[in-house]
Amino acid sequence: MHLLLVGINHRTAPVELRERVDFHARGLHTALNALASRGSAREAVVVSTCNRAELYVACDDPAATRRDLVHFVSEFNGVPSGDVTTHMYEVNDLEVARHLFRVAAGLDSLVMGEPQILGQVKDAHTAAGEARTAGPVLNRLFHASFGVGKRVRTETALGSGAVSVSYAAVALARKIFGDLDGRHVAVIGAGEMGKLTALHMKSQAVKHVTIVSRTMSHAARTAEAIGGASAAPWEELDSVVGACDIVITATGAAAAILTKARIASIMRPRRNRPLFIIDIAMPRDVEPAAGEIEQVFLYNIDDLQATVRENLARRASEVSRAETIVGEEVDRFAAWYRSRGVIPTVVALRERFEAIRRAELERLHFKLSTLPPEARARVDEITHLIIEKLLLTPTEQLKALNDADTAGAYSEALARLFGLTEEELRKVEPFTRNRPNRR
Amino acid sequence: MNLVPLVFYGIALVAYAWHFAQRNPVVGRAATTLLVAAALSHTFVVGMLTMEVGHVPMTGATSAISTFVWLLALSYLYIEMTTDERAMGVFILPLMAALQAIPAFRPSVEERAEVLQGPLFGIHVSSLLFAYASFAVACVVGITYVLLFKEIKAKHLGFFYTRLPSLQVLDRMNQGAIVIGWIFLTLGLIVGAIWAAQARGGYSALDPRVQAMSLLDPKIFVALVCWLVYSFELFAARRIGWGGRRAAYLSAVGFLIVLFNFVPISYFFSKSHDF
Repeated sequence: MHLLLVGINHRTAPVELRERVDFHARGLHTALNALASRGSAREAVVVSTCNRAELYVACDDPAATRRDLVHFVSEFNGVPSGDVTTHMYEVNDLEVARHLFRVAAGLDSLVMGEPQILGQVKDAHTAAGEARTAGPVLNRLFHASFGVGKRVRTETALGSGAVSVSYAAVALARKIFGDLDGRHVAVIGAGEMGKLTALHMKSQAVKHVTIVSRTMSHAARTAEAIGGASAAPWEELDSVVGACDIVITATGAAAAILTKARIASIMRPRRNRPLFIIDIAMPRDVEPAAGEIEQVFLYNIDDLQATVRENLARRASEVSRAETIVGEEVDRFAAWYRSRGVIPTVVALRERFEAIRRAELERLHFKLSTLPPEARARVDEITHLIIEKLLLTPTEQLKALNDADTAGAYSEALARLFGLTEEELRKVEPFTRNRPNRR
Repeated sequence: MNLVPLVFYGIALVAYAWHFAQRNPVVGRAATTLLVAAALSHTFVVGMLTMEVGHVPMTGATSAISTFVWLLALSYLYIEMTTDERAMGVFILPLMAALQAIPAFRPSVEERAEVLQGPLFGIHVSSLLFAYASFAVACVVGITYVLLFKEIKAKHLGFFYTRLPSLQVLDRMNQGAIVIGWIFLTLGLIVGAIWAAQARGGYSALDPRVQAMSLLDPKIFVALVCWLVYSFELFAARRIGWGGRRAAYLSAVGFLIVLFNFVPISYFFSKSHDF
């Protein structure tokens, strides 16, 4: 049994191709069933997001399966195979584990450490479970990857810090005010930028959003479009700002609207209540010196972008720690994976012993039939126990071999010594999947 | 005997620092467990002494410090459990460990002078110790507030930004600790004054220490300065909007005075509280 991965991601394929290779388009279950019905893979999981399309399979003949998977990708998505193969990568055996663990940890993502991917990997595995295309190997692999994702999230800062401007603004507001519910937000400027920001704030469960614009009708229209927001006329700007906690300015004004002196006079009756001003206008709406006022926290778009860059740099510095975790988990998975190589031998050996035992009991059937039933049951039990005890140590020793070459040599030796045939060895591990009847 | 809690405080401090730097939740839980162990062993020490001498240890110069550290540990644990915030531990544990070192290495004999009998004295000392513990918490919270405030103002969101709770929460914790501290400080001072008046009228009036109990005695004077500082802080926060950073600075100044009163003045200068 071999692990194999073929796929494309945001690094190897342009977005035009990624859009065309989309297994979600016709449903993941359809894709999984179509893949399973080809019979080239014993187990399969399809991970398909906007940044990657990857087929994880367990198979017997990696070269043949690889060729078949390329055909499958191009046939299923209606993309010429020539277009796909140039962008496709192939990963084998334990490197598949490393690849998946890095994906689940967010190390392979476009935005380093982003958290959604772990959920997407879980969904992919769930879908494969429902379609019954995942078996013992891929189940083990994917469960291990969930553990890696969790470890990286809790033990490193790979996913910490906001990496988009709007999330950085919300994170800052939370650091100043604690929770945001119950907070009042004012948006100055009813343009597209102001509207988007107001919507984003609204989604953060703030108590109220007020929109102020030079043209009242414009403000009212935007407030209505957002829903649950109110509009205020330009003349009330000072009182609106004075009553709220967070101000977002996004007007197209050529000169600063909120000067330091104006904000100072607004702040006076507020005493000590903090005011968080986010200036996303270009040119700026708020005089930079206003940030010197005690309890005024002024951030403009450049400042927010700078914090985003810092967060990205901090995430990058966590990469080596996350890679260490991935390495540890790959080693752990490898021990299990390699021990699986001897399983056919172990099972065949056990069956051989059992067959001999049955044959002997059969041969002595006539003599044994004179014994009372309890005695016969005892004979059966004792012979069974003898086999168990004889096989116990060799089985444990075989499973403890975590080097594929050695394990292969041992299996080979056992097959020779006990005359285990290819047929006997291949009999185990039948298809784990119950194929649905489709005509 | 005070050595055992000291060792625990020391190890807990290391764990809190480690947790603060790495933010590993397992280390964080270990840190809290260690501090609980420290507080339990300290409770045992204080309890044993109480059973031995018949009252909470507070009259020996260093045993009062031990009792203070014990109260501080309990107050901090209460805050940690109610707010689920561990970041403050790394700031407050150095204080506990440093103060606990004094009774651990210089144990004092717990003797209660004849003049100190009576329930009023017990109320006086224990409420003051509790007030000081609250002020210690307020001071530490205030320091962290200023650290976070400066990072946000400087637009350099780094070390403290990722580790501390929000400014609002810190401000609220600071105010709460000061209100509680102020109430107990006021109570302690009033009870002390009543007790002194009684002592002066009684048979112990000739005791030189009782005679030295006036507003000019360094210990009493500095305690009153303390009360003025904290009263002003409470007034300023409510009436003239001095919350946030100014309140944080004031609570640091106030606690410096408390510490000054608690350790050097008690040892070297005070004539009235030299029991």
